[in-house]
Amino acid sequence: MTPVVECLVAFLFGSVVGLLMQRSRFCNTAALRDAIMFKTYRNTKAMLMAMMILTVGFTGFMSLGAGNPMRFDVGLNTFAGLFLFGIGMVLAGACTVSTWVKTGEGNLGALWALLFTFVGMFLFSLIWSWNWWPPAPQTMTGEPNLRALQLGFANADTLQEKLGVPAIVFGLVQFAVLAAIYRAILRRERAQHAKHEQHQKEAAGQEA
Amino acid sequence: MEFFRKTLDPVFALAAIAILDIFLFLLLGAWTVGGGETMMTGLMAQAVLGDDLQRIPFWSIVFPPHADYWKIYISLGMFFGAFVGAVLSKEFYWRLPRRASEWLMITIGGLLMGIGIRMAYICNVSTFFGLIPEMNMGGYLAISGILAGAWVGSLIYKKILEG
Repeated sequence: MTPVVECLVAFLFGSVVGLLMQRSRFCNTAALRDAIMFKTYRNTKAMLMAMMILTVGFTGFMSLGAGNPMRFDVGLNTFAGLFLFGIGMVLAGACTVSTWVKTGEGNLGALWALLFTFVGMFLFSLIWSWNWWPPAPQTMTGEPNLRALQLGFANADTLQEKLGVPAIVFGLVQFAVLAAIYRAILRRERAQHAKHEQHQKEAAGQEA
Repeated sequence: MEFFRKTLDPVFALAAIAILDIFLFLLLGAWTVGGGETMMTGLMAQAVLGDDLQRIPFWSIVFPPHADYWKIYISLGMFFGAFVGAVLSKEFYWRLPRRASEWLMITIGGLLMGIGIRMAYICNVSTFFGLIPEMNMGGYLAISGILAGAWVGSLIYKKILEG
């Protein structure tokens, strides 16, 4: 595939995603923030549904040696980076997807968040150029490198290679865990609904 | 058209996106946003600084800027798709945060997102819709980080809302 075709495929994918996100009001930030702050799960359920489908799809194709999984070493920087990101997305009220989607709806606050994401990236490029951490992709070996606080690389493919068990088997285990979380949320929603109805009945009784 | 009149069930929308993401995974790689945004940062910095950008090792070693990087076009596509959706459903209008505290939170939030993405080499989209489904060890580290961060962020947010 030539780079131009790759860019066209990516643009097409992004356009459909943007349209579906805009029409569904899905927000990844809300999926986490609303579950933590307000105990509402509209977005959390959608995120879990996508993760379940993707887990089976990705590990299924990985079992056959197909697909293009990401390959880079992970470590303390992965946890710390996403920790900072998690604080940032709640403060900004948007994540990487919703900044683009909300900007497309005319939200100038989201555009501002996007601009400062670029500024943050440039600032980090200066910090990186000073201390060279986390290690550059060219120096990654896939093995743990504790001096650089790196754990190396492992995914469903490496599990398949090391244990001789198809990647889809591990995928199905992960699918079951995600499905259990999904079911727990549904149970919780039903309980919240029943409680709400009872309160309403009590209030109606008092008024009568 | 009904599609542009009613809000779509997000569970259905995300299921559809997941199926498309499987095709993208087979063709190019899983859905991601942070990498494309980094490349855009590099291209913008190059437009301002010119050849001086090469003096910053990050841009010569980790992310040499080039415009034909497919991940950039996912983000541009999302903007375009959302714009079309908003216009056709008559939901496009200019919105501005009203209070100075909102602008401050958005500014700090944006900076933290940018720094966090580059520190981790991944964003939230790669975490939930790429690394976790690939069962990458980094996905579990990232999800622990983002949950802890979202919790701390929610505490700060609540304090500001109440204060």
